[in-house]
Amino acid sequence: MVRLTDFRLSIAARLALLFGVVAVVAFSLIALVLNRVLEIELERHQYEQIESRTQDMRYMLLHARPPDIAQRAKDKIDALTPSDGRARYWMWSDDPNYCYGSELPRVLNETSNRSVPPGEQGPQGQQGQQSQQGMIDLDFQGQHLRVIRSALVATPARAAVTLVVGVDTHPFARTAHSFRVALLLITGLGTLVVVALGYWVARLGLAPLVRLSQDAREIGPYNRAQRLQLPSLPLELAQLGASFNAALDRLEEAYRQLSTFNDDVAHELRTPLGNLIGQTQVALTRERDAAQLQELLQSNLEELERLRLIVADMLFLARADQGERASRLVTVSIAHEVAKTAEFLELLLDDAGLTVQVQGDQQASIETSLFRRALTNLLQNAIQYARCGSIITVHISSRETLAHIAISNEGVAIAPDHLQRIFDRFYRVDSSRTQYPQHSGHGLGLAIVKAVASMHQGSVFATSEHGVTTVGFTVALQQQQRQQ
Amino acid sequence: MKVLIVEDEIKTAEYLRQGLSEQGYSVDLALDGIDGQHLALHHDYDVIVLDAMLPGLDGFALLRSLRETKNTPVLMLTARDGTQDRVKGLQEGADDYLVKPFSFNELVARMEAITRRGRIQETTLLRVADLQVDLISRRVARAGQRIDLTAKEFALLALLARRQGQILSKTVIAELVWDMNFDSNTNVVEVAIKRLRAKIDLPFDSSLLHTIRGMGYVMEERGAPH
Repeated sequence: MVRLTDFRLSIAARLALLFGVVAVVAFSLIALVLNRVLEIELERHQYEQIESRTQDMRYMLLHARPPDIAQRAKDKIDALTPSDGRARYWMWSDDPNYCYGSELPRVLNETSNRSVPPGEQGPQGQQGQQSQQGMIDLDFQGQHLRVIRSALVATPARAAVTLVVGVDTHPFARTAHSFRVALLLITGLGTLVVVALGYWVARLGLAPLVRLSQDAREIGPYNRAQRLQLPSLPLELAQLGASFNAALDRLEEAYRQLSTFNDDVAHELRTPLGNLIGQTQVALTRERDAAQLQELLQSNLEELERLRLIVADMLFLARADQGERASRLVTVSIAHEVAKTAEFLELLLDDAGLTVQVQGDQQASIETSLFRRALTNLLQNAIQYARCGSIITVHISSRETLAHIAISNEGVAIAPDHLQRIFDRFYRVDSSRTQYPQHSGHGLGLAIVKAVASMHQGSVFATSEHGVTTVGFTVALQQQQRQQ
Repeated sequence: MKVLIVEDEIKTAEYLRQGLSEQGYSVDLALDGIDGQHLALHHDYDVIVLDAMLPGLDGFALLRSLRETKNTPVLMLTARDGTQDRVKGLQEGADDYLVKPFSFNELVARMEAITRRGRIQETTLLRVADLQVDLISRRVARAGQRIDLTAKEFALLALLARRQGQILSKTVIAELVWDMNFDSNTNVVEVAIKRLRAKIDLPFDSSLLHTIRGMGYVMEERGAPH
């Protein structure tokens, strides 16, 4: 079974075919014009031939002096008539002396007095028809002739005479025919040449594309840093290449994040797992009393609970990654949510001697549990890094369709290169993972903030200057209905 | 209370059976959907713990067929924390759901919540040993001594006293006292418990508020001095 895709043409073939179509059209137009020019020229040539022959005879008939004008005219006609029959003369008159040549086709007589409109074809056969310039087409004794009839009025020396001069059109027709054959050949061969050249040119023009595809083929998971060579590319492709490279950059970043994420997950899971296995093994090497075993189980339970939280948070992040949006939306005051969250964290704030100040307010439609989760993480982060006794400011504003929630704390500044990565999973500014920070979570807090923001069609931001670190997120004021 | 557990993971099923039996439930166990359906339809249970993914007949199908004839409270266990599963389960008539991995005492708390639902007899005065919590006047006294609590401390104490004898996890406490229904990594609850304990336990001879390591907190009279 042949699939449709098997009929796909390469761009070069496509271009060559299009060139071919263009060539056929162009050559045909030129051929038509040339053909027409030739026809006109041949007709003019015929006319001139007949006309010059007629002039000879007319001159003789008009200026000849008696006697024997008739005989001399006939002799002259004999002399002028070529032996190959390319031209013929007729003469007739009421005076039988002046009649020359076999009797003129009656037809000519009949039609000559009527004017046939140019271009109108009469019935075929021994039918005369008048063409432009007063020429009449005539089939005579198997010859196709073109004739001109001229009447000479009577003079005292001779009777009225009608002179008919004709030329054989056959040589002209042959010329026209050869010319047409030549045109057809030129059109055909020319088109073929154009197609072939077009294909070659297209291949030449598309060579950078082939190089591009070779470049692209070399990029794989083991040389992710490789990029397409842009300087060698023509302008149009350079843009494509740049976009492609940018896409690769993003992918590499995602890949890098994912692979460090995997490392981090392994690390985060390995520590509690190691503790679990170790503690349990130690406990089982000796007889233990119930209290010791209970102690072990409780310790194990704590580690397991930590594992469960990591898994739950990672599942949450995975859902956000898969594009899950906030549901169960309610329109609430953000300041109210902040106040509620601050109330939740009140004891921690008290312990650190911190106060929370809320500035501004916005109404937004949010899923409150997600929103509070993000706020809790951000405030907890601020509490952790705030200078003791300072004020944590929560600034709520709106820009276009987004509500901005910015949480600022005074404290040690975060370096810019850390700042852009604080929302990465398991990223820790101090990067010391030797011990569990007692209450600062497992390094997913800000990643969860980012996930919550994206579930509300928002994003995250962070700045740190003049001793004030601001970390925040945005949510859409009105959540758009999800397009199914 | 009779409970039916429909769960194909044998280890899970076994610890649920043991745990719930020890909590005073009489437990029936079905290891696949077909058995589960049979038991659920032909016996009267106070609550059914139903896994969503089951061999033979999945949890959702079992729930549908159950709801045609019976109104037994059902707690669904789902492996995936997808909104779809949640919505589907609740639409089919589940009373609540838990996402695996879940903690055992959260399961117990939720089971009690759905079996109690609708027939909570609120008393206005709670007593735990010599501790009295008046829910109307919001007064707390122990051994006749008045204790001043903040609003949140009172809410926390009221919750623990109302559910005395039941272990409450930090997540459950955060949800019911502060309306924060997510697993938070904060130690807010620990700090709050510490402060509450300083007011209601430390000045007195015996402790009423106990920490169960790795599980949560429970309020009960244990007799032994601290």
